Amino acid sequence: MIASNESKGSSLIELVDLTKIYRVGTEIVNALRGVSLTIRENEYVAIMGPSGSGKSTMMNILGCLDVPTSGKYVLRGQDVSTLSQSRLARIRGRQIGFVFQTFELLPRTTALKNVELPLMYAQVSRKKQRAMAALKRVGLEDRATHRPNQLSGGQKQRVAIARALAQTPDIILADEPTGNLDSKTGEEIMAIFDSLHAEGQTIIVVTHEEEIAARCRRVIRLHDGMIASDETISPVSAPAPRERVTTP
Amino acid sequence: MIRRFGNILTAPFRFASGMVSQTFRNVATAFVQLWANKGRAILTTVGIIIAVSSTITVVAFVGGFGKQMTEMVQGYGTQFMMVQAYAPSSDKRRGTRRVRLDIADIEAVRIDCPSIRRITPFVYTPNGEITFGNEKADEIPVRGVTEDYQTIRNFHADVGRFFGPVDVEAAAPVMVLGRTVMKRLGADETIVGEQVYLDDNRFLVIGLLEEKGGNMGEDQDLTVMIPYTAAIKAYPNLRDSIPFLAEATTPEATHQAAAEITHVLRTRHGLKPGQRDDFRISRQDQMVKEFENIRNIASGMLAGIVSISLIVGGIGIMNVMLVSVTERTREIGLRKSIGGRRRDIMLQFLTEAVVLCVIGGSIGVALGYFATYIASLHPQMIEIEVPLWAVAMALVSSAGAGVVFGIIPAFKAAILHPIEALRHE
Ligand SMILES: Nc1ncnc2c1ncn2[C@@H]1O[C@H](COP(=O)(O)OP(=O)(O)OP(=O)(O)O)[C@@H](O)[C@H]1O
Ligand SMILES: [Mg+2]
Repeated sequence: MIASNESKGSSLIELVDLTKIYRVGTEIVNALRGVSLTIRENEYVAIMGPSGSGKSTMMNILGCLDVPTSGKYVLRGQDVSTLSQSRLARIRGRQIGFVFQTFELLPRTTALKNVELPLMYAQVSRKKQRAMAALKRVGLEDRATHRPNQLSGGQKQRVAIARALAQTPDIILADEPTGNLDSKTGEEIMAIFDSLHAEGQTIIVVTHEEEIAARCRRVIRLHDGMIASDETISPVSAPAPRERVTTP
Repeated sequence: MIRRFGNILTAPFRFASGMVSQTFRNVATAFVQLWANKGRAILTTVGIIIAVSSTITVVAFVGGFGKQMTEMVQGYGTQFMMVQAYAPSSDKRRGTRRVRLDIADIEAVRIDCPSIRRITPFVYTPNGEITFGNEKADEIPVRGVTEDYQTIRNFHADVGRFFGPVDVEAAAPVMVLGRTVMKRLGADETIVGEQVYLDDNRFLVIGLLEEKGGNMGEDQDLTVMIPYTAAIKAYPNLRDSIPFLAEATTPEATHQAAAEITHVLRTRHGLKPGQRDDFRISRQDQMVKEFENIRNIASGMLAGIVSISLIVGGIGIMNVMLVSVTERTREIGLRKSIGGRRRDIMLQFLTEAVVLCVIGGSIGVALGYFATYIASLHPQMIEIEVPLWAVAMALVSSAGAGVVFGIIPAFKAAILHPIEALRHE
């Protein structure tokens, strides 16, 4: 098909001609219009594009939170588009770590219990130790017993990242994770993603900010539900476009 | 392959321990949620509270009366029966026969019924008037009996003496007083040996009955006893129809004894086959059965009332759970996005409804205990006790109401679309 990236790892995500159509009353919205894409292990991808271009729609499908209208989504060799509700829930719980712009922590629940939540649904053992380890990774082990209303915005997002990490997912999906934070706090959050990537984690981040996209190794730009550009940035050299792919 | 097989073997254990910890977490979450909305939670459980507390109270009362009733009956002995002249209504209308039961009948029963151990005529008038000096007590139940009555009813004189066979034989004008009558006459124990008047007939007080207290709202000490022969003399119109009390040799022989009485009396009264009895035998064991019937009817009605209030309470629960699901739509979306399956969400909200109902049920149980405690403070109250099975049943049925009325809200939560739920404002 398209991508001719050098083989850093095996293909983790494969989207083939993905479309998403919303119907609101009689109106039809083509949120995604034929997106094809391959993402490999340990890629660090930024998704950019104007508002309404379909970034969140794509992320939700990647996160198995929503299903495409047509097209194929293969995650680690498995065709996700055909799976049942409970299989999808299983994938959400074990293979995907989603980070939201609005954190989505449970109120009245401690940071530690929030991080334990996906472990509870996955019915794994040693939940507390695992959750604690995840909190440590985002530098919040000393806030384990704090409730969300006792945490700053940046700390909340770090708890949310720990929650996404708890199950050691195949991929972390972050939809504008710094959108509700000031730029300095946003930097801190991105520093966490940088180090996670350095440790081998696959990460996809939606962002509006070029500085944030510049930290990534690949920038995909969406426009009107289609991929407008897909650049891989060399980690050392200047961010020269190495390829440009437009979907048919 | 082997690894996979191992997984299959351990899966049930992991599943079971996962279920336990998830249930634990669900209950904890339920408490946190309910505590956050304390006022609302209490208000919604009012229906359940009322259902449970009224059940507990009524069950305690019915049980208390039942126990009292059983004790009373056992005090008499279940082998005890009363025989009265009785005209079937059809015979009465025709006026063909005079209803009779006389001393000769009683003597025949005494002699010809081997299953009967004791027997006493029982002449009764409910409103005798007793005069002692200037004091007067009216509407006094007067019992005309023989000395056997003491044993049959276990009612003895503790001051002075009860009358004996000689007094009965001679129709001696002697009297044994209940303690309440003694007090009504403004007298104390020195009244033994004094003369009193029973409706113009002079009697000698020879003894006082031991104090028995109240029973089912009846003061057992409000009575006087005289030989039945003296009673017939004082009230000649009672002579034609003399009821009697009989006691079978054993409780098992009661049925046989009743049959023997029927045979003897029918023969003596010249009744042909097909003709109805002109007397009626009231048996204690049948009274117990009748009471049990009444109790069953009462229990049925109670069950009806309780189910209606449980339904009303349950609808309240359903309503507040629906509100809760709407308020927590984002939370549901989040839970789904991190791996919560439909059944996990369903279980969480069902647990919350059940916890809410069981809390209401527990408050109801506490209130029921409190109500029976308050009632037991009344001096004339019978002894009542909340049975444990009623507590268990109340809690189980409130939990059941939680499941039944929590299903719809929980289902509504479970089928929410994760993204739409997360977008909810
Ligand atoms: N649930 C929905 N129902 C109808 N239309 C929708 C729905 N969700 C998204 N859309 C439409 O789909 C298009 C893509 O939306 P999407 O949220 O993916 O954009 P986005 O790129 O994430 O924008 P932003 O940068 O503002 O977050 C938009 O035109 C939007 O109006
Ligand atoms: Mg968006």
